[in-house]
Amino acid sequence: MFTGLLFLAVIIGSIVFHIWTPWWWTDIASNWSAMDDTIILSFWIGGGVFILVCLFMVYCIFRYQYKEGRRSEYKPEDKKLEKGLTWLTTIGVVALLAPGLVVWNNYIRVPDNAIQVEVMAWQWGWKYRLPGQDGKLGASNNRIISDDNPYGLNIDDPNGKDDVFVESNELHLLKDRPVKILLRSIDVLHNFYVPQFRSKMDAVPGTITYYWFEPNKNGEYEVLCAEYCGVAHYAMRGKVVVEDEESYNKWLLEQETFSSFTAKNRNNKLNKKKFVKINNLSSNKNSILKEQDVR
Amino acid sequence: MSDELNINKKRKNQIKTKSSAASGRGETDIDYVRPAELPEQDLYHGHSFITKWIFCQDAKVIGVQYTLTAVFTGVVGLILSWMMRMQLGFPDLFPFLTAETYYQMVTMHGMIMVVYLLTALFLGGFGNYLIPLMVGARDMVFPYVNMISFWMFFVAVVVLMASFFVPGGPTGSGWTLYPPQAILEGTPGSGYGILLMLISLSLFVIGFTMGGLNYVITILQARTRGMSLMRMPLTIWGIFTATVLALLAFPALLVSSIMMTLDKVLETSFFMPTIIKAGEALSYDGGSPILFQHLFWFFGHPEVYIVALPAFGIVSDLISVHSRKNIFGYRMMVWAIVGIGALSFFVWAHHMYVSGMSPWFGFFFATTTLIIAVPTALKVYNWILTLWRGNIRINTVMLFCLGFIVTFVNGGITGIFLGNVAVDVPLSDTYFVIAHFHMVMGIAPLMVIFGAIYHWFPLVTGRLMDEKLGKWHFWVTFLGAYSIYFPMHYLGFIGVPRRYFEMYDSPYMTSAVGMNEFISVAAFIVGAAQFIFFYNLVKSLRLGKPAGKNPWKANSLEWLTPDVPPTHGNWGEKLPVVHRWAYDYGVPGAKEDYIPQTTAPSEVKDAEVEKT
Amino acid sequence: MSDLNLDKLPGGFKGMSEDIGSDQTTFKGVNWGKAMMWIFLLSDTFVFSCFLVAYMKVRASVVEPWPYPSEVFALEMMGVPVPLLLIAIMTFVLITSSGTMALAVKYGYEKNRKMCGWFVLLTAIGGLTFVGMQAFEWSKLIFHDGVRPWANPFGAEQFGAFFFMITGFHGTHVSIGVIFLFIFARKVFRGDFDTGRRGYFTTMKSDYVAIEILGLYWHFVDLVWVFIFAFFYLW
Ligand code: HEM
Ligand SMILES: [Cu+2]
Ligand SMILES: [Cu+2]
Repeated sequence: MFTGLLFLAVIIGSIVFHIWTPWWWTDIASNWSAMDDTIILSFWIGGGVFILVCLFMVYCIFRYQYKEGRRSEYKPEDKKLEKGLTWLTTIGVVALLAPGLVVWNNYIRVPDNAIQVEVMAWQWGWKYRLPGQDGKLGASNNRIISDDNPYGLNIDDPNGKDDVFVESNELHLLKDRPVKILLRSIDVLHNFYVPQFRSKMDAVPGTITYYWFEPNKNGEYEVLCAEYCGVAHYAMRGKVVVEDEESYNKWLLEQETFSSFTAKNRNNKLNKKKFVKINNLSSNKNSILKEQDVR
Repeated sequence: MSDELNINKKRKNQIKTKSSAASGRGETDIDYVRPAELPEQDLYHGHSFITKWIFCQDAKVIGVQYTLTAVFTGVVGLILSWMMRMQLGFPDLFPFLTAETYYQMVTMHGMIMVVYLLTALFLGGFGNYLIPLMVGARDMVFPYVNMISFWMFFVAVVVLMASFFVPGGPTGSGWTLYPPQAILEGTPGSGYGILLMLISLSLFVIGFTMGGLNYVITILQARTRGMSLMRMPLTIWGIFTATVLALLAFPALLVSSIMMTLDKVLETSFFMPTIIKAGEALSYDGGSPILFQHLFWFFGHPEVYIVALPAFGIVSDLISVHSRKNIFGYRMMVWAIVGIGALSFFVWAHHMYVSGMSPWFGFFFATTTLIIAVPTALKVYNWILTLWRGNIRINTVMLFCLGFIVTFVNGGITGIFLGNVAVDVPLSDTYFVIAHFHMVMGIAPLMVIFGAIYHWFPLVTGRLMDEKLGKWHFWVTFLGAYSIYFPMHYLGFIGVPRRYFEMYDSPYMTSAVGMNEFISVAAFIVGAAQFIFFYNLVKSLRLGKPAGKNPWKANSLEWLTPDVPPTHGNWGEKLPVVHRWAYDYGVPGAKEDYIPQTTAPSEVKDAEVEKT
Repeated sequence: MSDLNLDKLPGGFKGMSEDIGSDQTTFKGVNWGKAMMWIFLLSDTFVFSCFLVAYMKVRASVVEPWPYPSEVFALEMMGVPVPLLLIAIMTFVLITSSGTMALAVKYGYEKNRKMCGWFVLLTAIGGLTFVGMQAFEWSKLIFHDGVRPWANPFGAEQFGAFFFMITGFHGTHVSIGVIFLFIFARKVFRGDFDTGRRGYFTTMKSDYVAIEILGLYWHFVDLVWVFIFAFFYLW
């Protein structure tokens, strides 16, 4: 009795909590409402199954509690029932999976008019790079990163000349314009995640990963790193500002381009005699080779 | 319909009896069982204290050794979780809890709970104790190797614990140990800590392989007369399948451990791409961090089922015994266990939807993952259908089984959320994941473990555990754990990422402060409730009611030994002979409401047995 | 093993399903140790597969050029570099040792103590030769060519890393096998398998089936080498 009631209370409590919870997702600020919808769908189907199974269990507790001398039913198998349940479950699973796959298909196909934005993650912070007038990002390589070339851009790639450097953790985005986030990392795994945009993807050193979304609400959003990246993981925050064209352009003009950055740097260089050793591996290799030469 | 089937089956059995009785015996004998194929097992009987209790070759003692060691690590894991909850609920209370220590605790807690507690307890503990007894063997087939297996595990635990005391402390890389971060400065314990972790894991794998070979061969090749595979209790099926999974999945862990050790010690670049630290490139170049993730999860996902399948098996038996009813759909249960086990090798990348692997994998792995949901759901239906029209004893064991059903279904359903690739995008790496896997592979298997301990304690010690304390233990643990993890899902919806030392003042996270405090308090209470359990264990060991033989009126062989608790060699003079499956409860026409596996058909002539 | 009427059991597919449905043993007449070795080898197959798959993945994705094996593994003979010479000899030796092992197993079945012992010993020597040549190959690569696990002069650094790791892991398998072969050779000559003398550690009776089990392991190690050979030297 008591047992059944307590279990019943757990079920009812769960439902009540779900309905009245003050903790719920943040207002969505991107095009991915379909993700929210699939979650809701999962709640209906999954929650339904949970409630039915648990209620049935509670019913059994009440109805079939031990009585001395009673025999339980002896029926090892029931083919028909088992088959029916299999089909029912299969249908439920398909009903969940199909919309999920459709949304995923949209998630990995970037619209053609998306603006490319490079997010560069490091321990522990963010910086960004935008394509210039040509709309294309220049080729890059972590290996050639140096003080003169903080993004490791290929100097010979003309696409890179007008790239815009945003060396702060604050990124501005145009409202209602899809963005393709290209993720880079110079050290360990990170993940560029803004809860309001619903979307995320790891930044993996050595490769470039991507995802896309279309911000559709002006405002300031906090970026959270969502892949463990060392002690300051929890503090690796950034900021995204979604705004209209006018203020966006104003912000864009304040940023530096690769060419202006290089020009400025060249002047500085005369004063600073600093050589950055980028590649102690190649020196390592050389020493091995030298050993041979000597012999 | 089922009667027809039944007749067919009987006919088949008769035919089989004839053909295998070619030697001329037993054509008319309904009690006929094939003669023994194997000679008696040669056993080493220890005489000194050391060979009897320490370097002991008796699987039952080894099982207890495994259990005690695993429980010890579990207590360490529990204490670590307390400290983490302390930090998350009341961040200002303990200034000495730094981010470094927090991450070290998260890592050690996760690894200890998954590998050193649950895996070792289910396979090493329950596996060793129950397999020989339940299949009717005198011992494991290679007792000496079995003994070494435990001591390997023991050394692995010592190495793991040693990492708390080395310079730099234990590794703080998260239990997934993802490189490059795991072996680079910037992660606590990236020196000795991670090395000891990798060594300990390798030792664990080696030790486990020794034990695992024993379990598999004992089940396959050392069953007693009459014990066919389809008569084995589901506990054995669960442990068997899990062991096979482990033997095939642990290699990936071993390989990734070796490769990462080399990356750390020799600065090879298996998993390490070009890395710029403090403006300078490290000597690494060209490796693939995602390769590690594939290897890790090729181990890691089956690992989830290595924990889950024995739990499935054990809980099936507990439910059946205590609701005095045959397990519903035995054959379906067996196929579901085997099917889930096989499928579990094709779903690993559902942990990597947002890892940057080729996004096309998402379709494949989401589909396979949701396919697994079908056999899993069927198992759940069969558990509750076993309760249905049963005669349910509401004792501590049954309570834990019911608690298992609730938490497992809850966690299983959130698993469908996360497996469904598009839903995983917003939820992955948030507290939703933490809540999900604690529910499904933390709390649910723990429920089974507790249930199993209350159930088999009388077998191991000859005494019953205290029911009253047991019920208190159950309710506090179940309600407490549920109220820790159920609300936690909603933290994930808000967007709180996992592995956050401090939530800070993000506008939408401040609303969760209250919830975090509540969860922490619940965690302290749940942790404290475990001491009721330990007290009960110790008390019952000396003062518990003597259990006598077969206190639960169960059918399976472990309760039918001549001595209780069973002695070395298990069966005294003669091995048992099995005549039926382990679930003949409430058979119409039989005198008692249970028919033990060793009861010959001629002894219960009137029983209308369906499956044998 | 005392098998009851094993020959009378039906064979083929029907026999298999009947065996699985039967009691006591699933693999009729298969000794415990032998069954264990098979399962262990299955597990070990997964270990090597993981190594090789990782190797293929990295080799496919690495940017720097992969060294040409025929150059790296060439041996200078009278001033002319002969590609793969050493490896060919090593492979030949190992395959031959598999043959001698098979003979040892055969004589073990016949309880021919002398012949069995000699062939086990011969196999051990074959294995030892293999390990010796591998040591030579390693030292040539390390001291002469300057290949290191973390760098090499020929190209992608993962080449050295994978080479040393995988051949090293395989070499460890061979070495363990060699040690056991020597121990078993001694046991055979001493007559343990004829008298059923009890093992020092395990206290279990010795039986010639142990030779067959060791043979399984040895053939497996051999087979793995063929794959390593194909993936490292021929690809
Ligand atoms: C009441 C008992 C437990 C409590 C209070 C608890 C609490 C926690 C907490 C606070 C975290 C860290 C979350 C974060 O910062 O991201 C965590 C992580 C974890 N726990 Fe538990 N836990 C408990 C039992 C278990 C059990 C039984 C398991 C066994 C499966 C388990 C497995 C894990 C794993 C795998 C992690 C992830 C570690 C990582 O992120 O690397 N926990 N737990
Ligand atoms: Cu991070
Ligand atoms: Cu998984």
